[in-house]
Amino acid sequence: MSFDARAVVRRIGVLAVFLLSVVTLLFFLLQLTGDPAEVMVGDSGTPEQLEQVRKQYGFDRPLAEQYVRYLVNLAQFDFGVSFANDQPAFSLVMDRVGPTLLLTFLSIIATLAIAVPLGAWLGARPDAPERIAGGIAVYIAQGVPGFVAGLLMIQLFAVHLRWLPSIGHEGVATWILPTLTLASFLAPKLTRVVAANVTEAMREDYIRTARASGAGPSGLLWRHALPNALLGATALVGAQFAFLISGAVITEVIFAWPGLGWLLVKATTTLDFPVIQAAVFVIAVLVFAVNTLTDVLFRFIDPRLRTKGI
Amino acid sequence: MTTAFGLLPRLGILRRSNRPGIQLAVGGSLLLFIFILALLHRQLAAYDPLAGDILTRLKPLLTPGHLLGTDQLGRDILSRLLFGFPWSLGIALAATLIAMIVGTVAGLWAAWVPGWIRTFINRSADTIIAFPGLVIAICVIAVIGRGFWPLALTLGVLTWPFFARVVYAEALGLLQREYVLAAELFGVQGWRILIRHVLPGLRPTLMVMLAFHFADMLIAESALSFLGLGAPIQAPTWGNMLAESRQYLFLAPWMMLAPGGVIVLVVVTLNLLGDGIAKLSRDKARAVE
Repeated sequence: MSFDARAVVRRIGVLAVFLLSVVTLLFFLLQLTGDPAEVMVGDSGTPEQLEQVRKQYGFDRPLAEQYVRYLVNLAQFDFGVSFANDQPAFSLVMDRVGPTLLLTFLSIIATLAIAVPLGAWLGARPDAPERIAGGIAVYIAQGVPGFVAGLLMIQLFAVHLRWLPSIGHEGVATWILPTLTLASFLAPKLTRVVAANVTEAMREDYIRTARASGAGPSGLLWRHALPNALLGATALVGAQFAFLISGAVITEVIFAWPGLGWLLVKATTTLDFPVIQAAVFVIAVLVFAVNTLTDVLFRFIDPRLRTKGI
Repeated sequence: MTTAFGLLPRLGILRRSNRPGIQLAVGGSLLLFIFILALLHRQLAAYDPLAGDILTRLKPLLTPGHLLGTDQLGRDILSRLLFGFPWSLGIALAATLIAMIVGTVAGLWAAWVPGWIRTFINRSADTIIAFPGLVIAICVIAVIGRGFWPLALTLGVLTWPFFARVVYAEALGLLQREYVLAAELFGVQGWRILIRHVLPGLRPTLMVMLAFHFADMLIAESALSFLGLGAPIQAPTWGNMLAESRQYLFLAPWMMLAPGGVIVLVVVTLNLLGDGIAKLSRDKARAVE
């Protein structure tokens, strides 16, 4: 794979614009609250306290100066301290990155483990009656929002059958329901894509050639049709990472999973702006990193893409 | 074939075994049913959706007088569900229309004017799409407050790029058609060409996107309400009902069934319509060729 320095520079440029627009939006959101000092002090604050906070955080300075100072601090990963407990917002947020990445990673594995075999089975002979029924079930499952699926699974596995704990983050047993919940955001859609791709692939010339050279039906499906069908399917997972992060926010709140999303939602209820800003910043970097990684990975998997710049 | 790109993942395995007619018929009748419920919610609801009764707290399904049970304040779940129609569907529809109008204007503009305007619009769209929309929506709603319009505006403004991208790509193709070039040669003004000659060509795509986006917005609205950042806390939206049911998963498991079920019903209906229209317009395009 050739290494194109110009393309790398352009990528970094895109990242800079991306981050700048996100942090600028957050800066003006804070201004939209009316008086940031009031948000920080809360309803119980005295006028003296307000004045002190304004001075301390520079809210009495002109807006342009505040904005520049905000950007300079951000460039040093200094987001200020959490209003809630005076800890540095950035390190609070970084502590939560691990659990969120664990959850998304597990759920991508689960999504693939469900969608690929199921999709291959449905797509291999789409006109068989039991597979039409399966297709309709997947179609309806696609209409079930992830958080509804999560609540249903808690009902079934935690309340009814009492097999699994419903909340928490201790031990592998507590990982199962959150993983399946987040997987439910993408698995039905992916199943349908795999199935459609397999159906399509089964009609290709190379399948006919393989059949003519004596490949059995299962060999045709798993060795010849599926690998080609998977390319588009994996691209879908990569492209949907941002969507998956949105899903992770909801999943973390449902299961009290100590990740970025739960922290962010808690921070918004108290308008804890340093934490909100740090969390959104880190999520932006994460999404960008994964998108770039997926692009590079696909160039590696599919040589046809290599001629286009990064 | 230009209608498919963003929607490819949605087109699926029912393709061969199911003609568009079946999907449109099922989707259309469900939509009619939903529309009637939304229109007659006031007449159909037996109780005030906001009035609780401490004596009838947490009654299960099929309790006489409370078909779908009651919630933690003794409010009738069926009545709340019915009054949720204008709330949940209203927010989702308003958000969809805002996204569609802004996105269509932006996409047409980008297709018509090459140069920095096109670059700016397309880059903005890419940036917004690359980011988890829910994360930004959470922050915005936390600051500007809950409510019908804050929610509809936030969701609409955050999702216009999905329309802009598709409209841009299709309009670019339509602008190359002979009848558009002819209009240009006749000296028809730019905006007239876009409205009279390009926009009609976009109609099938926009209808498909309208259905899918409406479904996405309904899910987004419910998700935000579910997180406590959506409709006002008292409002009987389906997301709020789900959020309340979460506290009573063990005590009153039926509380989540009605709002969860109706969301699924609406989303499946919209998906059927979207898929049906997409296939219909594809068949038509094929017939023309």
